Amino acid sequence: MAYIRFENLNKSFGEKAVLKDINLDIEQGQLVTLLGPSGCGKSTLLRCLAGLETVTSGKVYLDGTDITDVNPRDRGIGMVFQQYSLFPNMTAAQNVAFGLKMKKVPSNEIDTKVNNILDVVGLSAQKAQYPSQMSGGQQQRAALARALVTEPKVLLLDEPLSAIDALLRHNLQVEIRRIQQELGITAIFVTHDQEEAMVMSDVIHLMYNGGIEQSARPIDLYTQPKSTFVASFIGHYNLLSAEDMQKATGEKPESGNVAFRPEIISISRTPIEKENCFTMHGTVNVSLPHGNILRYATVCNGVQIDVDVLFGENEVFDRGDEVYLAVSKSECVYL
Amino acid sequence: MKKHSAGSTAIILLILIYLLIPLVVSAIYSLFSNWTGIVPRGFTIEKYVEIFSDPLFRAALARTILICIIPIVITIVVVLLALFVTAIYFPRLEKYVQIICMIPYTIQGVILSISILSLYVSNKTILGNRLIMLIGAYCIIILPYIYQGIRNGMRAVNMPVLLEAAEMLGASKLYAFFRVIVPNILSAIIVSSLLAVGIIFGDYVLVRNLDGSAFQNIQIYLYQAMKSDGMKASAVFVVIMAVTFAISAVVLYLQSRQNKSAKGAK
Repeated sequence: MAYIRFENLNKSFGEKAVLKDINLDIEQGQLVTLLGPSGCGKSTLLRCLAGLETVTSGKVYLDGTDITDVNPRDRGIGMVFQQYSLFPNMTAAQNVAFGLKMKKVPSNEIDTKVNNILDVVGLSAQKAQYPSQMSGGQQQRAALARALVTEPKVLLLDEPLSAIDALLRHNLQVEIRRIQQELGITAIFVTHDQEEAMVMSDVIHLMYNGGIEQSARPIDLYTQPKSTFVASFIGHYNLLSAEDMQKATGEKPESGNVAFRPEIISISRTPIEKENCFTMHGTVNVSLPHGNILRYATVCNGVQIDVDVLFGENEVFDRGDEVYLAVSKSECVYL
Repeated sequence: MKKHSAGSTAIILLILIYLLIPLVVSAIYSLFSNWTGIVPRGFTIEKYVEIFSDPLFRAALARTILICIIPIVITIVVVLLALFVTAIYFPRLEKYVQIICMIPYTIQGVILSISILSLYVSNKTILGNRLIMLIGAYCIIILPYIYQGIRNGMRAVNMPVLLEAAEMLGASKLYAFFRVIVPNILSAIIVSSLLAVGIIFGDYVLVRNLDGSAFQNIQIYLYQAMKSDGMKASAVFVVIMAVTFAISAVVLYLQSRQNKSAKGAK
């Protein structure tokens, strides 16, 4: 049996079904991400595992035992919350020590453990500070230390970085991943940010509308979306219906919708002759610089196609320029 | 920031003078024994010595302080527990709790005391005890202030998340509430209880109606002093005002400290 298992899990708030028949296995030692738009049920699933929500039906197993009806404080689970959740009346060290005190760990042992874990998260200098004296990033580090110090069986992170500004967020993503691998702990990370999920996870479970839409390694999820929802949520896929595809390329695709990523499209001022390609002809409508890439929104026979090119090594096009596009048929995803 | 015009400064000064005149005049009146000329003569603090050496006065002051503490403690405990239960288990009931706690704002002391009397005066149990009635009445009177203060304090801390965090770390909800939430709203609790002290200190109606002169608190003492000796009454009045000012000063100090720590939080 997997380390963590959700079996036919259902959860409703009144009439509204938030989780619909979830079956999910999570292996020990991995960092998995529950990714999805807000309201998809990802936080609720996490809270069901933590015991902060009761399940409507189904089972939750952790390390071979059924914990569906176990009290949250007896589950051996550590959690970091989205909002700052440090106890404001206690210093960083006292916050971290709280869980150990609850477990009645001897006080000399508490000191060693607290110092060690504060060292791991890089907060040794702030141990006597109160939460109000720490920055948002430091507070979340302390919250992470507080959740880790009791050596939980699994660490839950419920969008812990969403209130932190971009630069610091990237640092903390790498940091959390490093600590997780160093301690070899099983961790479940909830986020709505696909880039964050890509950077951090061993496995991503993409959720939509109360169910698991696709479970895959980050690269596989990115290159092989299984449904139109996944394609529209991950990356910036051009998602075209069969009719639009025919309008834009003049060719009718074999079946259904076609999705292709904007960075696999070739763009040129002259017609592109390539084997096994869809070719298109249109005009540049908008040019958006995204730093390292330039994104062109082109219109090909009334259909919008987004094209990403690396900034610097490519020819730059302006609004109104006529362009030719080509995309390899084998790199398209047929949905 | 706008510059204060001379007009607004004048208005503030006028209001200050208007508010302070009774106090200043009482203080002056209590300090001079000879009022026959234009300028009072015969400066003396004899009346203050007299009232502080009067065991009746000290007893009245002590009673007033004692009768403050019991209802405040009861009300704080009840409100804390009620807010804990509504916040955690019945969030939808919170608005009803609020309505119930706000009702005493609208009840006049006379109406409240008469109602309590007619309900309980023939009661043979402990509820028929006049002192118990008085404590109960004070609990009702200070309820809105205590409730409002504690609720605002709770709003300032993110109670559900803090409780969940404590629970995940192995604490029970009730333990977490008293160990994590209460210390964080302590200054709110203190501020609202000091407000309640001020209200009970100033009460005359309830104690008069419920206990007559059997339970002599500071206001009753003042009333009796007024009948016999105006100068002594003024001295008592000044002492009451001084105590109330001291309470207000503590309230302001605590509030400024709370604001400071709130500003420190990002």
